[in-house]
Amino acid sequence: MKKSPFTLSRRQLLKAGAGLSASGLLYTSALQANTIDTQARIVVVGGGASGMAMANRLATRLRGGTITLIEPRDTHHYQPGWTLVASGVWHPEKTMRPNADFVPQGINWVRQYAAGIDAENRRVDLANGESLEYDYLVVATGLQLNYNLIDGMSSDLVGQHGIGSVYASVEGAARTRQAIKGWIDSGEGKGIFTSAPTAVKCAGAPLKMTFTTLTHLEESGRRDAFDVDFMSPTGGLFSQPWVNDFVKQRFDEQGVNRRHHYRLSAIDPQAKQAEFTFEGDQGSLVVPNDLRSGTANAQGKPTIIADYDFIHVVPPMSAPDFVKQSDLIAQDGPHQGEWLDVDIHTLQHKRYPEVFGIGDVIGAPINKTAASVKAQAPVVEANLLAAIQGKSLTARHDGYTSCPMITGIGKAMLVEFGYEDNYAFMPTFPFIDPKDESWAVWVMKDYMLQPAYYAVLEGQA
Amino acid sequence: MSISSIFTVLMYALAPFAWLIIAGVVILLAVHLLAYMRGYQITQYRCMLATGIAALIGLSAFFWAPWLTNSQFTYINTVFDWVAAIGSIIGAFVVAFLLLHPLSYLVKGQDT
Ligand SMILES: Cc1cc2nc3c(=O)[nH]c(=O)nc-3n(C[C@H](O)[C@H](O)[C@H](O)COP(=O)(O)OP(=O)(O)OC[C@H]3O[C@@H](n4cnc5c(N)ncnc54)[C@H](O)[C@@H]3O)c2cc1C
Repeated sequence: MKKSPFTLSRRQLLKAGAGLSASGLLYTSALQANTIDTQARIVVVGGGASGMAMANRLATRLRGGTITLIEPRDTHHYQPGWTLVASGVWHPEKTMRPNADFVPQGINWVRQYAAGIDAENRRVDLANGESLEYDYLVVATGLQLNYNLIDGMSSDLVGQHGIGSVYASVEGAARTRQAIKGWIDSGEGKGIFTSAPTAVKCAGAPLKMTFTTLTHLEESGRRDAFDVDFMSPTGGLFSQPWVNDFVKQRFDEQGVNRRHHYRLSAIDPQAKQAEFTFEGDQGSLVVPNDLRSGTANAQGKPTIIADYDFIHVVPPMSAPDFVKQSDLIAQDGPHQGEWLDVDIHTLQHKRYPEVFGIGDVIGAPINKTAASVKAQAPVVEANLLAAIQGKSLTARHDGYTSCPMITGIGKAMLVEFGYEDNYAFMPTFPFIDPKDESWAVWVMKDYMLQPAYYAVLEGQA
Repeated sequence: MSISSIFTVLMYALAPFAWLIIAGVVILLAVHLLAYMRGYQITQYRCMLATGIAALIGLSAFFWAPWLTNSQFTYINTVFDWVAAIGSIIGAFVVAFLLLHPLSYLVKGQDT
């Protein structure tokens, strides 16, 4: 694949760096020593954070065989930067790079959408009618945003009628910034921030958007003229218990009205009205004065109507439809019909041992972050190579995930945790306390995480 | 995170600024070379003005380092933040000193 001059110079720089560091040299030679010969046909579906990392890792480790990457897009999107775009800190261009910069030499890059997976016959069908057979499959498709599950909502509406959604796309993030700015420039009104009833990628993003908007509101000098509500479909705000309590307390201190068990079910963009379905115990529902009762929905659940001047919509999310329609989707349990059915430690499919899953698509209690991809990629690499060699799978993912929780523009907390002990903290650096708001952590988010992410894509970290 | 991972990430982080770093080093070396050719010795030559301005630039980093990173100095909070802030003060002082000290010699030092 063609490499840009920038990539070349960066790789040269890395080589020079490796020459300077004994550990770097050892690292390189250890990898070369572990190269294995194979005739296997390996297909990686999706070339985002996880698929690209796997393509690079496998290209380095395998001699012989074929590696095919199915990725339709020419542009790679650094999605963790979208929160900064929607907050007015970054320009959208900063989050985009050509995929060709990252695709390794010597693999087949198929620029098509996968349209189906026939796990029994080990075949991936493409949107152009062709199909690819595999011996091993890595499912790395990311997830699907289901805006259609909110009546009246579509991603096209982002940026219009006071609607924002950082998740929609990089353009959506930029339009979200404009919608927030338009609301603040109007000098008053109500802003509603929502959360989804499903697992979402970067579960901290809806909270970060609230915090960065609060910074803008405070800087406007008219904070009291604005109402800010956060509507959560559950009783909590974040999976990590300490962070959950912290954010609740901080919202209360910053005058954010927390409403729990409110699921966004419909939106009327012209009227700037949102309908929430109450998911809690019906006896506990007390409709606040600034909201109105709606009619009960088809399941008999109460609904509440809220007027807004700005609303941040977080759509329900799931595995892409073509994965949901395949045999690979979970058949039972909490991820049934919605997410890929893998063992959350080995990342091997529970019923098709030649299939592995990585990234947002997998059914796991936490983990839909690029930081998780960094932790998962070496596990999938090791276990896939073990499977090819007929060895037992020994590498295990501990659920590591991380979210630099931005608590205002200019400060953040480095929240890192995993599966064990009720999502106990797993700090990487002993000198950074996950419970502290910090300028240095903000600087890491602003400057260091994107390079770290690109290192992961290239299989270097 | 292993040392080699930290090192790799640092190299990726610095790569986009490589031209700036190289240009800065080239300017520093050029000024030093020129000054040495005219008899400058870093340990022998004294210039209170250059040292004073370098110290002011260093101290000012406490304010502009957070600003440059889309933050504010009131957010310097943890021990690590303070270490980073003091590091940027020292770094800014050293760079400013290494530039201003030989420059001042070139401008007036040969006569003093
Ligand atoms: C607003 C926002 C903020 C975030 N903040 C953070 C953060 O601070 N820290 C963090 O660690 N993570 C963050 N994330 C999450 C992170 O970006 C994702 O977890 C990560 O990108 C997941 O990688 P992935 O490969 O699973 O999916 P993706 O990176 O989304 O890649 C999926 C790829 O699959 C391709 N694809 C889709 N359908 C098909 C198909 N049918 N056929 C072939 N290819 C297909 C797509 O084109 C895409 O390239 C954030 C995400 C968002 C949206």
